Amino acid sequence: MSSSSSKRHSILPPISQSGPKPPVQFSSSITIADSALLTGSNPILISSESVIHPRARLDSLSGRITIGRRCIIHERSTLGAVGTSGRITDKAVALGDYVTVEVGASIEAGDTVIGDGTTIGVGAKVGAGAVVGRNCTITARSEIKAGEVVEDNVVVYSNGMRRVDRRGVAELRNKGQARQIGVLRMMIPSNPAKFQ
Amino acid sequence: MSRRPPRGEYIETDTGNKVARKANLVGTQNIMLGGKTVIQPEAMIRGDLARSIHPSSSSSGAAPGSNTAVAIGRYCFLSRGCCLRPPGRLYKGAFTYTALRVGDHVFIGPGSVIQAASIGSHVHIGANVVIGELAIIKEYVKILDGTVVPANMVIPSFSIVAGQPARVIGELPEGGHEAFELRELYKTVGNNPQPAPS
Repeated sequence: MSSSSSKRHSILPPISQSGPKPPVQFSSSITIADSALLTGSNPILISSESVIHPRARLDSLSGRITIGRRCIIHERSTLGAVGTSGRITDKAVALGDYVTVEVGASIEAGDTVIGDGTTIGVGAKVGAGAVVGRNCTITARSEIKAGEVVEDNVVVYSNGMRRVDRRGVAELRNKGQARQIGVLRMMIPSNPAKFQ
Repeated sequence: MSRRPPRGEYIETDTGNKVARKANLVGTQNIMLGGKTVIQPEAMIRGDLARSIHPSSSSSGAAPGSNTAVAIGRYCFLSRGCCLRPPGRLYKGAFTYTALRVGDHVFIGPGSVIQAASIGSHVHIGANVVIGELAIIKEYVKILDGTVVPANMVIPSFSIVAGQPARVIGELPEGGHEAFELRELYKTVGNNPQPAPS
């Protein structure tokens, strides 16, 4: 019962907005949480109906970040991280449409491309310059090394094992994603004005 | 406005919960703590992802307090940097989040991400563990460090689980559940912590 009191606002500490405020280009239909972190000096583009959860971190210091339509970026994930392999390029990270980046995943900067319909699992890491195809699943805590290429419909699991997903459920997955976004739009208070 | 001078690292509630001021609790009105629970700094609980579809049996306008997203029992210990979030799924063609229920004496290691449907009592979850969506963990389970429990997995009682993806690698001896009690650990954190008994 204790912390359920609606009066106790002190529990969420303020976010320290460090570094420069990046130039942003948002579609009007996106949902971005107030406590998302956008830093860097290069443009951040977010296309229609994408959702950015609280405490997701988009860092455009080493290049432009592009997020496609109907993507979900979960909390604590980092796009454009410098990490171990990140480097400065024109396009740091480009996500296709219907991409899901789950909790704590990290996509490093440096011409990294994630194809349409791909899911990056919890705590997974995608190195700089990696190219992940369409409808891939990078399972939790997997690592894609810098410059690696992952073909379409591949599932990466269990420390780098790979198999091809032949279920052909991409269309259904996209539909599910659209439903999920519909729910998230009601739940996450959006505040795009803060970043503009 | 007078503020009591020493502001400890933790907020200690009447029911004995110790919540770090630096914990990220989102949607606190949907988080239920059973008491004597420790939430360390940088732990995150997503209470805002509450159920959006209500079972038709209780359609008569659910009371505001009843929409619990995360329910935690007594003597739980959420270590630094862990993240608890309710699992989501498609139910009858519509997407909804469902509640995450955690029993008593559950230890959650640092950096772990929990998206289970339910976790029983006396469960030890190590560091950097990922529990997939809608997994069910029964009573008396030990999950070793770095385990990835896939979505929808059901882990039976008295199991030791490890691996990526998780497998049951052993059995806990019966009668050894004293080791899961977290009362002593509870005393060692807070604003005036006591040293752990050696």
